[in-house]
Amino acid sequence: MSVDIQGLSIAIGGVPIVSDVNLHIGDRSRVGLIGASGSGKSMIARAMMGLLPPTATCSGSIRYEGEEIIGMGERGLADLRGRYVSMVFQNPGSALNPVLTVMQQVMLPLTLHFELSQAQRKARAIAMLAKVGLDASVGSRFPHQLSGGQQQRVGIATALVGAPKLILADEPTTALDSITQRQIVRLLVSLVDEAGASMLFITHDFSVLAHATDDCYVLDAGRIIESGSTRALLDQPRTPQARQLVHAARELTLHTAPDEATASSHKKERR
Amino acid sequence: MTVLKSIWAHAQGRYALIVLSAWVLIAFVSLLWTPHSLWATDGYHVWAAPSADHWLGTDGTGADVFSWLMAGSRTNLLIVVLTIGVSAVIGLLLIAAMVSSAAMLSGVTVVAVDALISIPTVLIALILAVPMDASIAVIVIACGLGYGLNLARVARPQALLAARSDYAEAARAAGVSPLRVLVSHIVPNALPTMSVQLSLSAGTAVLAESGLTYLGIGVPSGVPSWGHSLATSVKFINVYPLTVLWPGLIVTCVVVALNLFGDALREAADPVANPLLRQAQVRQAQPMEAAVVQPQSEQVVSQPPQPKQVRP
Amino acid sequence: MSMASMRFLLRRLALFAVALVVISVLVFVALRILPGDVASVMAGHDSPPERVAALRMQLGLDRPLTQQYVDWAVALLHGNFGVSMLTGRTISEQVGARALVTFPLIVMGLAVALLIGIPLGCASCLAKSERVRGLFHLVAIIGGSIPALWGGLLLILLLGKGIGLVGLFPSQGFPQDGWAAFPQAVASLALPALAVGIIVGAGLMRYTRAALEELMTSSAIDMAMSCGMTRTRAMLTVGLRLAMPQLVSVIGLTFAEMITGVMVIENLFDLPGLGEGLITDVGNRDLIAVQGELFMLAAFFLTIGLAVDLLHRALDPRLNDGEGRGL
Repeated sequence: MSVDIQGLSIAIGGVPIVSDVNLHIGDRSRVGLIGASGSGKSMIARAMMGLLPPTATCSGSIRYEGEEIIGMGERGLADLRGRYVSMVFQNPGSALNPVLTVMQQVMLPLTLHFELSQAQRKARAIAMLAKVGLDASVGSRFPHQLSGGQQQRVGIATALVGAPKLILADEPTTALDSITQRQIVRLLVSLVDEAGASMLFITHDFSVLAHATDDCYVLDAGRIIESGSTRALLDQPRTPQARQLVHAARELTLHTAPDEATASSHKKERR
Repeated sequence: MTVLKSIWAHAQGRYALIVLSAWVLIAFVSLLWTPHSLWATDGYHVWAAPSADHWLGTDGTGADVFSWLMAGSRTNLLIVVLTIGVSAVIGLLLIAAMVSSAAMLSGVTVVAVDALISIPTVLIALILAVPMDASIAVIVIACGLGYGLNLARVARPQALLAARSDYAEAARAAGVSPLRVLVSHIVPNALPTMSVQLSLSAGTAVLAESGLTYLGIGVPSGVPSWGHSLATSVKFINVYPLTVLWPGLIVTCVVVALNLFGDALREAADPVANPLLRQAQVRQAQPMEAAVVQPQSEQVVSQPPQPKQVRP
Repeated sequence: MSMASMRFLLRRLALFAVALVVISVLVFVALRILPGDVASVMAGHDSPPERVAALRMQLGLDRPLTQQYVDWAVALLHGNFGVSMLTGRTISEQVGARALVTFPLIVMGLAVALLIGIPLGCASCLAKSERVRGLFHLVAIIGGSIPALWGGLLLILLLGKGIGLVGLFPSQGFPQDGWAAFPQAVASLALPALAVGIIVGAGLMRYTRAALEELMTSSAIDMAMSCGMTRTRAMLTVGLRLAMPQLVSVIGLTFAEMITGVMVIENLFDLPGLGEGLITDVGNRDLIAVQGELFMLAAFFLTIGLAVDLLHRALDPRLNDGEGRGL
């Protein structure tokens, strides 16, 4: 599914969070959105899901296959969510409903959107769990009984079980350790490709982005400051903010820190 | 002061402040002056309608309703102040036990509070009323105990966080006595939650006074209180329904004010919601932190400085 | 059941037993530190010394205090709560008859409270207009600030048969035949239940609102919405379910607080319930009855507290594995 965002601005309680963002996600493509924490990336994802808090105001345009969703009624948005657009959350430990078993959680989008018998729902949920690498026996457990990686697999299964055409992954690996991070990214990419869906991958970590996306946008203080192919951005970031993020990623993955990176990060701290 | 200013800034907080200060003012005035003497009964003018002489009419003995209500306000004020004091002391003792590092003590206290909290105040009052008869002390002790338990339960999370904080740990490590740690670290952190809870309890205490007095185990007969005024007028509702209006209305207004005060206090004490407080805290942060660090600084200095960052 | 749950249960039960003992001691001591002694208080002001002495013998008051306590406690364990000095009936019998008025009243009051508190609490959190939400909140505060006595009176003045503006329900007494006259019995409890229920319901409304408001921005609600729920539906299903353990605790506590109101209301409406009986016995200095009744009521509320704690735990799967609560 293709997505077109034009002139998107979001304010919460009168404070602008995101200003004049233009962003395009092509059909079956994986696009990254990177920025430091507080830059407003999550708010863009929330606007795309119709999940902005009630105090937020939002202007501009977000079109799915040409259909405008800003100003769409609550009912219409709810019909989109889980069926055409899905979200993978940053912290599955708090997002997964603590009183539902894994099976009930994964079946929820099916219950809400499809006319299926209980047996059919169950069969599809088990198949989905298998796809994310979880045994059917996990289905009867509660989220708090799972590891962080397993929780995120359940989160991904829930997001993908309704066969949506767009996945918004909002820092899906931030809460995980680095080995699990890589597994989860690989899993997400393969499942999105297999389903023929598009994905917006939101992160502050370039090292994750390189594996997951072809193109990316860099967000700083609510504005897009740079965009292009992820590889090109990684090799030659043009803006200082992008440079900083790239170096931070290198520092983390390779444990080598060019002087330039430390200098700029210090500058940022002082500011 | 900052907190009062931000409470005043909201319409509801302003209502609360006005009603509460009027209450205190009237209570003090009633010590010196009431329109009529409380004991000036008049057999010819019982249940009189409101008039220029008797603003709210008279009761079954011909005594002035307005004067009794005025005098009642000081009894209720006394009860509320004492109850709050008792429950604050009990609450603090329980909190101290709950956050103490002795696992046995804290565990037992936590579960004991959970169990005892389910005993209704009125039963405690009844147990006390058997040996003590109807008295203000019954209300104060019963309510103070019940609300103290409540306070401990509500403020426990904050107190626990503060007790486990680095500051408190460091202070303990430096040999500061547990009592001082409690007073200087734990109480200030639990104070916002505690004061909100206490102002809600104050409202409940006013309500409890009217209930217990009506049941004959609260304020003894002959002592003016709002509960007393309410209870005496009840017996004649089918004859003179209007007299019952005033004491009930006053109690409701005051309890609403105490509740709104609690709400406003919660908002005012929350640094996220209150910009005034945020500024004040930033201004205070410097000296306060310096004072906190003082007792441990010698120890810190004696340790060799750690290298900040080690890079391969 | 997991090990952690088992340990919690054992601990909680042990504490329940200890609390019962403590309460029994408290009740016992309160009745023994009377000025004068139980016998002379019960015999009345100017009864001859021989009568007081006889009464003392009869009540076993001439024995040492510990012996008296042990005797009483052993009798309690056998379900023997003593015999009322005034009516000559056993306390259990007396309490049983009165409980048939009080428990239906409490249950009806609680039903009214739930019917008012939960839906209006949800509405005061979910209403679109901020003005409406504020208004609901104010209504809840005012409702919770009304003294039970006054609320009951206003209801009588409004709906009481023969006195109110609209004479709908009787405002005094309970049918002689008790529950055999079912419609009359229900009608005579209608106004009292309404009076109790409105006040408790207002408190419940505030708690519901506060609990839901806290969950409003939680990621569990976001998750439910992203599966395809509207915000309202997510709050009413997931939100209420997640607030449930907390609300159960609150309802349990409100239940205990409600009893003051229930006693006042029973008195006001002249219902022969437990509260009314207890107050009468205290007034008559029927101390054996008071001792038994106080202990029974305290034990009842301790049981409610126990049930609420266990239910709270059962409703939150996370607590079953020993997380949280700091126990």
